[in-house]
Amino acid sequence: MASIARKNLLEDIPRFLVAQAGIMFAVTLITIQTGILEGFTRSTALVVDNSKADILVSSNQVVNFELTLPIPAALLEEARAVPGVEIAEPLLLGSARWTKPGTADIVPMRPIGFYPDGQLFRLWNLTAGDIDRLKDPYTAIVDESSLDTLNAEGVGDTGQMNSLPATIVGLTQGTQSTASSTFAFMSIESAKAYATVGLTSSVRCRSNPDGELDCSTVYRTEDSETGVPPVKPLAIGDAITHILIKAEPGQDLEALTQRLETVLPEVRVMTREEMAEMTRSYWKSRTGVGFILGLGAGLGVIVGVAIVGQILYSSVSDRLKEYGTLKAMGASDWTLYRIVIEQALWMSVLGYMPGMALCLGVSVWAEASMGVTILITPVTAIGVLGITVAMCVGSAFFAIAKVTRVDPAAVFRS
Amino acid sequence: MIIVSPLEPETARFPMDTSSDAQGAIVAKGVEMSFPAGNQDIQVLKGIDLSIAKGSVQLLMGPSGSGKTTLLTILAGLLTPTAGQVELLGHEITQMSRRKLSRFRLQNIGFIFQGFNLFPALTAAENIEVALNLKDIHGNSARRQALELLGEVGLKDRADLRPSSLSGGQKQRVAIARALAGKPPLIVADEPTAALDSHSGHATIELLRRLAKEGGATVLIVTHDPRILDVADRILYLEDGEIVSEDKAAISH
Ligand SMILES: Nc1ncnc2c1ncn2[C@@H]1O[C@H](COP(=O)(O)OP(=O)(O)OP(=O)(O)O)[C@@H](O)[C@H]1O
Ligand SMILES: [Mg+2]
Repeated sequence: MASIARKNLLEDIPRFLVAQAGIMFAVTLITIQTGILEGFTRSTALVVDNSKADILVSSNQVVNFELTLPIPAALLEEARAVPGVEIAEPLLLGSARWTKPGTADIVPMRPIGFYPDGQLFRLWNLTAGDIDRLKDPYTAIVDESSLDTLNAEGVGDTGQMNSLPATIVGLTQGTQSTASSTFAFMSIESAKAYATVGLTSSVRCRSNPDGELDCSTVYRTEDSETGVPPVKPLAIGDAITHILIKAEPGQDLEALTQRLETVLPEVRVMTREEMAEMTRSYWKSRTGVGFILGLGAGLGVIVGVAIVGQILYSSVSDRLKEYGTLKAMGASDWTLYRIVIEQALWMSVLGYMPGMALCLGVSVWAEASMGVTILITPVTAIGVLGITVAMCVGSAFFAIAKVTRVDPAAVFRS
Repeated sequence: MIIVSPLEPETARFPMDTSSDAQGAIVAKGVEMSFPAGNQDIQVLKGIDLSIAKGSVQLLMGPSGSGKTTLLTILAGLLTPTAGQVELLGHEITQMSRRKLSRFRLQNIGFIFQGFNLFPALTAAENIEVALNLKDIHGNSARRQALELLGEVGLKDRADLRPSSLSGGQKQRVAIARALAGKPPLIVADEPTAALDSHSGHATIELLRRLAKEGGATVLIVTHDPRILDVADRILYLEDGEIVSEDKAAISH
């Protein structure tokens, strides 16, 4: 139908702009919310995704990568003995508090201890410093985006972690989980030191009436100790968090996973992808973050439908005489629907493009200025286009109902 | 390179005309119309019989409220009468389905309105193109025919102006060109001169008459306007829902 739809759209420029602003708003809200959710959930599993392990061995109580119970370091040797395992390396996640002399802030930290020389956890996106420096005791590499939080300037800066000194020896980019405490990548020895500092423990056991042993661990603060103790290597009796496993070439990962789970006591064995997915879906659903961000996106759709619906409806209402004239002339209902729907499609496409451009701009800006990842994947971009089109065409419903009711017999009476 | 232009359906004129010349192009038999008004219906048309000869220009006159517009609406296939039959070009239309009737109007009837009913967002030419598009004539061919029609109503140089830039008389000429698009055998108009001054009103109807005669179309015009009496072949007078007299036009051509 020639250009009725487009001309009608542009006939009332202010109204058109309001519609476009509404659609842009909806597109932006949906895309940004989805992007934050995607960026957020992706960030929670970054450490897993970037490890070179095929398989992770964790406590059988594991809830997600960071929320789990310790397992004995002794399992490392046992794992290495399982046929099909080429390499097994420990990963130790701790928790600590960062303070900087002269400032009052206390920052919760997540020390992540690994073998700096190891093969299965290679720190990625290093932008300054040197991984080898982690072999020095009480050193850590942090994400650039964490510097502000830590009141730190950069490489060489120092602070206190759990009353021990800590020196920043390197910086990374895009390694921080948005859901977590500030990551401090370090050697397993340093991580162990931060995890146990200030506490010495002894195990006391006593036989109970059933003839079994009741054991309890007793912690005592070493307030007498002065000076910085030397770090100690990982020992059989230490606790670690995960075992990273590389399978021998050609191994069936499924079978190896089964084997490890049978051989090692009280563990849960997952492939890297399973662990990453478990962690992502935990944060997406169990925390309600997905729901809240989804709610925001849903709100975008509702606002979009309301605005576009209202604009289309009033545009049709203003043109009832024209639609009636077309009907009298013999246009079918579908011809008229096509005009309305074409308007809706133009609105959706013309609102989507600047909306998506705005989102891409915002995501670049957010990453650069705040370290917040708004991840706009091609799937998201196409999905949002689909939603926008569906939203605009769907909101044409009332306009279409109105066009249907137009009575051509009234055409001589207007 | 040879550019082949699509053949224009020059001769697809009277696609559904099955009437003989002896029969009228528009024939009504015992047409009654009543509208519900509270508990009682008011009868607006009380048994109309008429026959309008093919190729003639027929005026329908009468006092306000006598039922002229209602009758025109029925005769144009836009409203189903409560009783009676209407035959257009030999087709009984009161029993047709809505969809079929719509198709029939598209192929056979051109409409002209008191308020012109042009689309304000479209130029003069585009307004005519829309009518052609509905009749499945598209693109360059529609454009060419639209400009031709505008030429016939003397507005070729106004083709790219919107209705808001045209005078009332010019707007009605565009509307006439639109009604003539696709050369429908029937043209109906309700008070086409009411919004025009006396001179352009007369000129407009004279133009309509000439073009209709050239194309062999039958024209039915509802009017109050005594100044266009001389344009008509016949005049029907309606009073209180009944035809009171049927005149040969006072001034013959
Ligand atoms: N849809 C309707 N519902 C109820 N009554 C109607 C309807 N359409 C027309 N009427 C009534 O039918 C009568 C005839 O109206 P109509 O418009 O046909 O008169 P008219 O001869 O065209 O008058 P005018 O010269 O003022 O245009 C009027 O009394 C009008 O109120
Ligand atoms: Mg009337």
